[in-house]
Amino acid sequence: MKILYIDTSSSFLYAGIVEDDKVLIEVNNKLESELSKYAIVKISSMFTKLNIDPRDIDKIIVVDGPGSFTGIRIGMTIAKVFAYSLKTKITTINSLEAMAVSNDKASYFVPIIDARRGFVYSAIYDKDMKEIMLPQHIKLNILKEKLLILDDYLIITNDDIEIDGIKTIYKPDILRIVTKYKNKKNINPHVVNPNYLKLTEAEEKQICHD
Amino acid sequence: MQEKDIYILGVESSCDETSFSIVKNGKIEIATATSSQIDIHKEYGGVVPEIASRNHIKNITIVLDECLQKANMKMEDVDAIAITYGPGLIGSLLIGLEAAKTLSFIYNKPLIPVHHIAGHIYANSLVKPLQFPLLAIVVSGGHTELIKMTDHYNFKKLGGTLDDAIGECYDKVARVIDLPYPGGPKIDKLATSGEATYDLPVPLRNDDYNFSFSGLKSAVINLVHNEKQRNREINKEDLAASFQKVAVESIIIKVRKAIKNENLKHIIVAGGVAASSGLREAIYNLAKELNVDVSIPPIKYCTDNAAMIASAGYYAYKDGRIADLYLNSKSTDNLC
Repeated sequence: MKILYIDTSSSFLYAGIVEDDKVLIEVNNKLESELSKYAIVKISSMFTKLNIDPRDIDKIIVVDGPGSFTGIRIGMTIAKVFAYSLKTKITTINSLEAMAVSNDKASYFVPIIDARRGFVYSAIYDKDMKEIMLPQHIKLNILKEKLLILDDYLIITNDDIEIDGIKTIYKPDILRIVTKYKNKKNINPHVVNPNYLKLTEAEEKQICHD
Repeated sequence: MQEKDIYILGVESSCDETSFSIVKNGKIEIATATSSQIDIHKEYGGVVPEIASRNHIKNITIVLDECLQKANMKMEDVDAIAITYGPGLIGSLLIGLEAAKTLSFIYNKPLIPVHHIAGHIYANSLVKPLQFPLLAIVVSGGHTELIKMTDHYNFKKLGGTLDDAIGECYDKVARVIDLPYPGGPKIDKLATSGEATYDLPVPLRNDDYNFSFSGLKSAVINLVHNEKQRNREINKEDLAASFQKVAVESIIIKVRKAIKNENLKHIIVAGGVAASSGLREAIYNLAKELNVDVSIPPIKYCTDNAAMIASAGYYAYKDGRIADLYLNSKSTDNLC
């Protein structure tokens, strides 16, 4: 069973193809504003290098956010259109889950993505991946307070976040991620959509006025 | 020997419409599916880019599926994929672009980059064959341009707006007299029941092919302001008629000059403002006066749609304009 993994929720493209217990190929590129240009180029080159066809993929696991709004949409549009066209099974996972699952050697895992203006996207997982704090758009100061009562937590982030604790840079462990989520329930590609965890500014303003 | 039919899948997502279409040989629309977000953006008084992007990704496979179902075709039956690469809202453009690139990759079909305005021009090809040399009058929310074409996919800009686009001006005038978004079509409608009683200046009566609409816009704003100060009620119908008369007149002056000087045979109109009945009537009358052919697309081809992109894509394809998977969206880009 071949599984295609796609995560474009940050300025990086993380993608890979996993078969059984082996990562056949993976890409990990910092693309930033060039993500829209290179994402499909890098993904298609994995198929070329392995000499396999998109039809050989049995399932897609795509990260649905949170993170960069535009970034999330690039990977998810590719995944949606791919899955719809070839009737490939598809499921989504959270970027924060992917970050936590990729790490070990701590009692708690605290993935953090900068959301600007004093806010972050974060969640807290214990070592069994139970959600101690649900993924959310949260003020950094409030997150810091929540961490005060925890021992032995690991902060996972690629951003420059001012927070105390042991920090590690996020590098996805695609084999672990895919192994954990390969049996997650499939979703109809038409309803595979980003999970931004945040309204648009226009919507927020409108709610304030109501 | 008869040439093989060519089917192009068009993809358009540059603003607030998600659209797919299959067109045969650049002329015959097989099927089009479009999801418009106009009701969503109405609440905000204009298109909100992030909301538009969010809705594009929600709709993308649903609209593609509807198009293929309507056409009773499979992706395998399509010869190439034409995509609006720009100009437009970048977040919106990217959804169509990634969808088109993904389809190009998995079905191994050529990818054809289409400029949004080339699409609006080629909407006319769905109605009747283009006759060269022609004059394309491009009038929309973002553009006011006169483009000369001596052959397919050969564009030469004769002139354009120096400030606001005509559609932008319509929308701003609508806002000044409290018409809800999108105001342009409402101005056109009001104008039909009014009379051009207000005195407004016709801008740029000079020798080039350029336009200016900011002066006209300011004149309307000042007029409304002054009438309010004097506690006089604005007659909206008459103001709409007065504004439309001047806006249309400023286009017609330059079009007349271009047709005569450049010896053009065919006038085509492209873009959202081509839906304006006032402009349509004036152009039909001018074509009659100058004895040139004219085509104005039906309303469904004036607003953003993928059929026009597929039509332009056919001629671009014939011209060998193929992109690779590195194709990126551009929020701004000149057609010529």
